[in-house]
Amino acid sequence: MKKKQDFESSLGELEKIAEKLESGELGLEDSIAEFEKGIRYAKFCHDRLEEAEKKISILQKSRNGEVKKKEVRFDPETGEVEDDDLQGSLL
Amino acid sequence: MVFGRKRTAAPPAIKREICKKYQERTTGMNNDPIESRIFTVSEITGRIKEILESNPALNNIWIKGEIYNLTYHSSGHVYFSLKDDKALISAVFFRYAASKLKFRLEAGMSVFVFGNITLFEKRGSYQVNVLQVKLEGIGELQKRIEQLKANLHKEGVFDPSRKKPLPFLPGRIGVVTSPTGAAFRDIVKVAMRRYPHMEIVLAPAKVQGDDASDTIARGIEELNRPEYGIDVIIAGRGGGSFEDLLPFSEEAVVRAFSRSAVPIVSAVGHQIDHPLSDDAADAAAPTPSAAAELVIPEKKELLDELDYLIIRINNRLQWTLSSLKQRLGNVTEKRIMRDPFELLRNSEMLLTDFENRMVSRLKEIISDKRRDLMEVPHLGRMMSNLLSRKRNEYSGILKLLDKLSPLNIMKRGYSVARDRKMKLIKSIDDIETGEELILQLYRGSLNCTVHSKEEGEIIGKEKNSEKETGF
Repeated sequence: MKKKQDFESSLGELEKIAEKLESGELGLEDSIAEFEKGIRYAKFCHDRLEEAEKKISILQKSRNGEVKKKEVRFDPETGEVEDDDLQGSLL
Repeated sequence: MVFGRKRTAAPPAIKREICKKYQERTTGMNNDPIESRIFTVSEITGRIKEILESNPALNNIWIKGEIYNLTYHSSGHVYFSLKDDKALISAVFFRYAASKLKFRLEAGMSVFVFGNITLFEKRGSYQVNVLQVKLEGIGELQKRIEQLKANLHKEGVFDPSRKKPLPFLPGRIGVVTSPTGAAFRDIVKVAMRRYPHMEIVLAPAKVQGDDASDTIARGIEELNRPEYGIDVIIAGRGGGSFEDLLPFSEEAVVRAFSRSAVPIVSAVGHQIDHPLSDDAADAAAPTPSAAAELVIPEKKELLDELDYLIIRINNRLQWTLSSLKQRLGNVTEKRIMRDPFELLRNSEMLLTDFENRMVSRLKEIISDKRRDLMEVPHLGRMMSNLLSRKRNEYSGILKLLDKLSPLNIMKRGYSVARDRKMKLIKSIDDIETGEELILQLYRGSLNCTVHSKEEGEIIGKEKNSEKETGF
């Protein structure tokens, strides 16, 4: 919940910095400081975009009633899950 | 000629205007064939059609009735009438809609028909353009759903203020649907296309059948457990018949949607009637693919946006730098920066100049003073004139002083008496009997002794002093 908020707000900050720089009101030192700040935000956003894992898991209920995640193989083109041995529900 | 015609033409026009007004007032109608509008049949039909078909009260409505005069046409269109004990309305069920119906209509069937009232211009008749037909049994279900909807609405389950915003960039998506259905495949496809790194957790559920609603509700509940770290849930299924979609209008599911702390999207394929889950969810989409597109941002777009911003700030900084460099260049171009001694040389020259000017000025001043001094003889003559004038004045004053001198007075026979300490004796009290005194005369002085004192009146200072000295 927090992470994605950070992505959105970081992107927002980056936008603000771009506008501030483009306003032409900043001196050289401030410009460089803002630029560095902007690059930090941009790097955070980039990292965040690469962070998530390409993974699909399906929740499965074990005999004792505990629910566990089971990672499954799938075809990214068709979206087909390549695993036949799956429960149809958690009940 | 022109004026005359104008003048004569005016009165009938006015008369006609008055006549018209009168007619309008008396009959409430505009009967003048020139001023009022005459419709052709197709024009008035067009107008009626427009009024009829744009009226919201006659659009997207349900009509209950019995099927009558049913014809399945070879073109695939289905024509029939709907009637009850008092009225009848024609109905046309075009192929594109009729082909989706899962059962065959029969004359005498009691049905609910969904559609719009349209006008068929060629025959000047109106009819229902049927989009969907339901059996009356389903009508009962529909009624139950409406009741549930009303109750939940009263409870505030559909309150817009309860709706949570969807995350901008979810890290992990939860899906509640059948693991084997088209819905999940569609969601995965969209996810992989838009954001290949998206992690998806599926809570498998049955999406049709009697226990479907319980499995869906259970799946939503499970994905809400914090250990899964789900940012947003998509729950739904592909399109189907009214009955197929029923689980998503059942209370257990609708309540699970509204209870979900994780933002949830209702993704039930539908064309006409949306399930109640759409109302309870934080967002609704007409298909699972659309839900996936709503939830999953396009990574390329985000990257482009990011790159664009980086380029913007980069360009701007470059621009700032180069403009400052330019300014620096302009400054260093100046001679003073290239040869700082230039400034010193200038100052030196200025200094020398000052010095020269100062010396020559001094010389000028000295020669001026010297010339002034040369004129001093003239001053000496002025001085000696002044001196002789002062000398004359002085001798005058001396003569005056001489006249006033006591010596001059004593010349006339007066004398001055003093005691031995040479103090002037002005009264008999200044000296005792038997004491000596000196009496100074015009020529010489006398040493005298006082034999006796005699009182006398003061007669002016001179007279008094004369008496005091007493003889």
